[in-house]
Amino acid sequence: MAHIEVVRRSMRPEEYTDLRFGWLKRHIYEDKTEITTFKIREARQTAEMQFEFYDNEPRDLKRGDMYFSPDGTAFIEADAVIPEKYMGREIRFSLKTAAEMIIKINGKYAGGIDPNRESIVINPFISSQNVHIEIVSYNRSKPDDERNPESLSVRGCRQIFEGGYFGVVNDAVQSLVYDIELLLNAAKSDCFNEDLRHHINLELDKALNYIDFDNVKNEDVLLAAEHIEKHIFTDKRYKGNGRVALIAHSHLDIAYYWRRIHAVQKNLRTVLIQMRLMDKYPDFRYAHTQAYTYETVEKYYPEVFEELKEKIKNGSFEPVGIMYVEPDCNVPSAESLIRQCLYGQNYYREKFGIEVDTCWLPDVFGNSWILPQILKKSGVKYFVSNKMSTWNDTNRFPHNNFIWKGIDGSEVYACVPPTHFISWNMPDQIQKNWDAFQDKDTDTETLQMFGYGDGGSGVTEEMIELMHRFDKLSVMPETRHITAKEYLADNFNATKNLPVWDGELYLEMHRGTFTTKSDIKKWNRELEYKFRNAEIVSVLRMLRGEDYPAEKLRDAYKKLLINQFHDILPGSHITPVCRDAIADYIEINEKLDGILNESGDKYFNSLNDISRKSITFIEDENGDVTRLGKRGYFTYPYIDPLSSGTVQKPVGDDTGWISVGETVETAQYSIKFNSDGSISKLYDKYIEREWVKGNFNKLHLYYDYPGVYDAWDILPNYKDKEEYLTVEVPIHLTFVNGDVAEFTTVLSTENSSWKMITRLFKLSGNIEVENIVDWNEKHRLAKVEFAPDILTREVVCDTSAGYIKREMNKNTTWQQARFEVCHHKWFDIGETGAGLAVINNGKYGIGVEPDSISLSLLRATERPDPTSDIGHHEFTYLIVPHSGDFVEAEINNIALEYNVPLIKADFKLDMQFGELYLQSMKLSEDGKNVIIRLSEQNGKRGILSGIGEFSVTDMTEKYLYSATEYKYTPFEIITIAIDASCLKDKI
Amino acid sequence: MEKYINEIIRPKIQGDGGEILFDSYDGGTLTVIMKGECSKCLILDRCIHWIEGQIETSTGKKVTVNAIRKKPFFWDT
Repeated sequence: MAHIEVVRRSMRPEEYTDLRFGWLKRHIYEDKTEITTFKIREARQTAEMQFEFYDNEPRDLKRGDMYFSPDGTAFIEADAVIPEKYMGREIRFSLKTAAEMIIKINGKYAGGIDPNRESIVINPFISSQNVHIEIVSYNRSKPDDERNPESLSVRGCRQIFEGGYFGVVNDAVQSLVYDIELLLNAAKSDCFNEDLRHHINLELDKALNYIDFDNVKNEDVLLAAEHIEKHIFTDKRYKGNGRVALIAHSHLDIAYYWRRIHAVQKNLRTVLIQMRLMDKYPDFRYAHTQAYTYETVEKYYPEVFEELKEKIKNGSFEPVGIMYVEPDCNVPSAESLIRQCLYGQNYYREKFGIEVDTCWLPDVFGNSWILPQILKKSGVKYFVSNKMSTWNDTNRFPHNNFIWKGIDGSEVYACVPPTHFISWNMPDQIQKNWDAFQDKDTDTETLQMFGYGDGGSGVTEEMIELMHRFDKLSVMPETRHITAKEYLADNFNATKNLPVWDGELYLEMHRGTFTTKSDIKKWNRELEYKFRNAEIVSVLRMLRGEDYPAEKLRDAYKKLLINQFHDILPGSHITPVCRDAIADYIEINEKLDGILNESGDKYFNSLNDISRKSITFIEDENGDVTRLGKRGYFTYPYIDPLSSGTVQKPVGDDTGWISVGETVETAQYSIKFNSDGSISKLYDKYIEREWVKGNFNKLHLYYDYPGVYDAWDILPNYKDKEEYLTVEVPIHLTFVNGDVAEFTTVLSTENSSWKMITRLFKLSGNIEVENIVDWNEKHRLAKVEFAPDILTREVVCDTSAGYIKREMNKNTTWQQARFEVCHHKWFDIGETGAGLAVINNGKYGIGVEPDSISLSLLRATERPDPTSDIGHHEFTYLIVPHSGDFVEAEINNIALEYNVPLIKADFKLDMQFGELYLQSMKLSEDGKNVIIRLSEQNGKRGILSGIGEFSVTDMTEKYLYSATEYKYTPFEIITIAIDASCLKDKI
Repeated sequence: MEKYINEIIRPKIQGDGGEILFDSYDGGTLTVIMKGECSKCLILDRCIHWIEGQIETSTGKKVTVNAIRKKPFFWDT
């Protein structure tokens, strides 16, 4: 007998309640009057606060007209008269729109309207019935928050103007709407007791029966509210448990589906909306991050900034997050992360007279192990980041409130809230947070952030109104709305037995962000070291009497930091964001070239304790080698640390050091190449061992289909399907002189070509591989694999401030999940007495397998940017087989030599810092001292001495104490300040 | 027409997370490939009319734009 599905055709009582709730909402406005005098000028934003207008004159804008165009901004104005009957009431200006609008009333910034809210109260800004309205409005196809279903339905570049109105609200209806909103959420959620949900449904039905929807009367609305109060809110039979702190916050991506030039208005709108809520609800507190966003308010909206300062002073507007922006925390170097703290904290100190003791990074894609030390030494006590709890794809991160122990042993309090940082303060979201909270035993409460975000927007009136009703719903956890500072102090400072997490905060997702947008990563690395050189050279020139270009350097550094934002540097953004970033990098590079002002015949070695003895490419038009498109030669500079010297071009042209047959023979190696450039044999004659076991220097193109999070993710099954490259030109010797030999192969796919040049050197065991790629793929991941004949279970990875050892075996799900990890300049795998390192100058992702490591080279994703990574790429890496372990072989020093260029300049600084790495030397922010930052990178302890008296400071250059020696511990970063006059005799 | 699409229209479309690629122009019909966010836009027809209007205003030519959506695999359901 056929199965017949029985479909209920009549309406269930709950559906009837929903229907009537919709009817009720139509009566929120007691009266509305359309404004019919709008005029509009359409434009497109070209730079911060600069617009290209499409119309010379404003045109009329009527209800039903089309407005906005792709990437459009509109300037809308109206002179209107408020109806007499509204005067004396709370008057609203309402406009339903998909766009983001900043509203000025009679010349004053009155608030914001966007897909999450459609009206503002205008009473504080009017003195008569005559009103002048000005709107700056940005429309974008992607709403701030795809989680708001109403905003999804109106996405698109061209919008229909739905009219603007003055109106007055029926407070009784509005209040009842909030009551029912709260109760329906609980009734529909399986988080709550089934009997309670039935009870709510039953009583809501009865309450709504008081209202005749053909003739809605206020007294009936009040009766319905009274019924709810009496039969639901005062009924405390259903008990909840748990404690949840509610922190208002709005996540603002500086760039993502919009350019950073748009973030200025997005931020202003968000700030205005939150400040107006503070005016209406005196108990409302709101936490806002990123010093950069405060800077834009100060720069472009000084009158709003003054109001903002007042609200910060009275405690309702709370700056959180020490960092200048919310950066990616995998790829930036230690010095970049320090500068995020330095420039952020200095801004808060200078403008608001406060120090921020939180690091607030809700959306960041994992956090480097070097962070706790940087935070602690920048004055941060608390680290907050949601991502690991809500996004891990394999393991549940085991803690929410804990102590995070860093690479050097530094500890900070850490809060990884159990649920998403974007929520709209609904009872079920709060209950889910408590249910997911894993540290209930520590007797702490859990943190729930609420407010729309991604592109700002924040809290709505509805969220606050619901919050004011939470204590009426006895089944909910106990909640309190407080500041971030209050939450963190209450739940960490006196809490004993907090669990400890000792290691990086690896995010088990978004593993592709170490590789996506190759050019951005390359520029970032190059400029990080160029800033180092530019600042050192500027200090040395200052010691000779020249001016230090403090402002130029600071401004340029801030621009680099903005581009380290967690949707810029990781590559998860639309096409123009990438274009902006590259333009910024070119501008920064030109500024640094101007500051470096290289000239003369001598080269300055800005590295300390490293004598530049590694093989180095020197650009020279008369050189006989072409590398990365530039002519030059390879040599061994041998320039003392922090000194200058001349570099000799090798003169010998005897090519007898290499013989090419079935194998390639040099003094050190016997090598067998495969036709595709991979190496099947690499026998080291000096230490009498073979380095190759499996694929070695083998290029792979994997099918890379991660799904919606295209730019972000690499899936664990990425190796399942591979596209095999065609060997167009088998490897062959293409160049040899007295010092270097080049072997070239050309590979291809249907759409791309890949030229690989492998360089062997007469006097160096390092092997350089240059890649010249015309890349026109979709959904491919290019990796170069190294499967050496080395028995080990760990790979050592540079973090830029010390190394991290990661397990290669796959026994546990934690090991399995880390199949793609972030490293910086190098990785090394070794046995006792020997090992093999691969050094790069702009690649960050490595694949970890039990017997091999692969360096991720290029991706080809199409969301959010359909053009991502398409084009020409040139990059190199260095294969360094070595005896001894990676410390004895000075792999970190070789990697520094490979990344930090020599500078054409003549200096000698007579200072030594032992084995510590001179990470930075700059003029202090107050212009009084030379700041020297030293980093212990090899896991050793020792004593810094012999440099005279110095002040030890924190990383924000705050004086701690004076000393003549400093005992440092493994992986410690030390910041000292020395009076410039004391250094003049050192130069 | 190809230059106009590439230089004038494309940057604006890209600014909204979309992508437009010139395909052909034949007998007053301009065929373009819409990718990115445009490929799944519910109100793409409004944008296409706008493009037609822009072309007419800028070049004086009346064209019919034939937009072919090319969704990435993860939206192609």
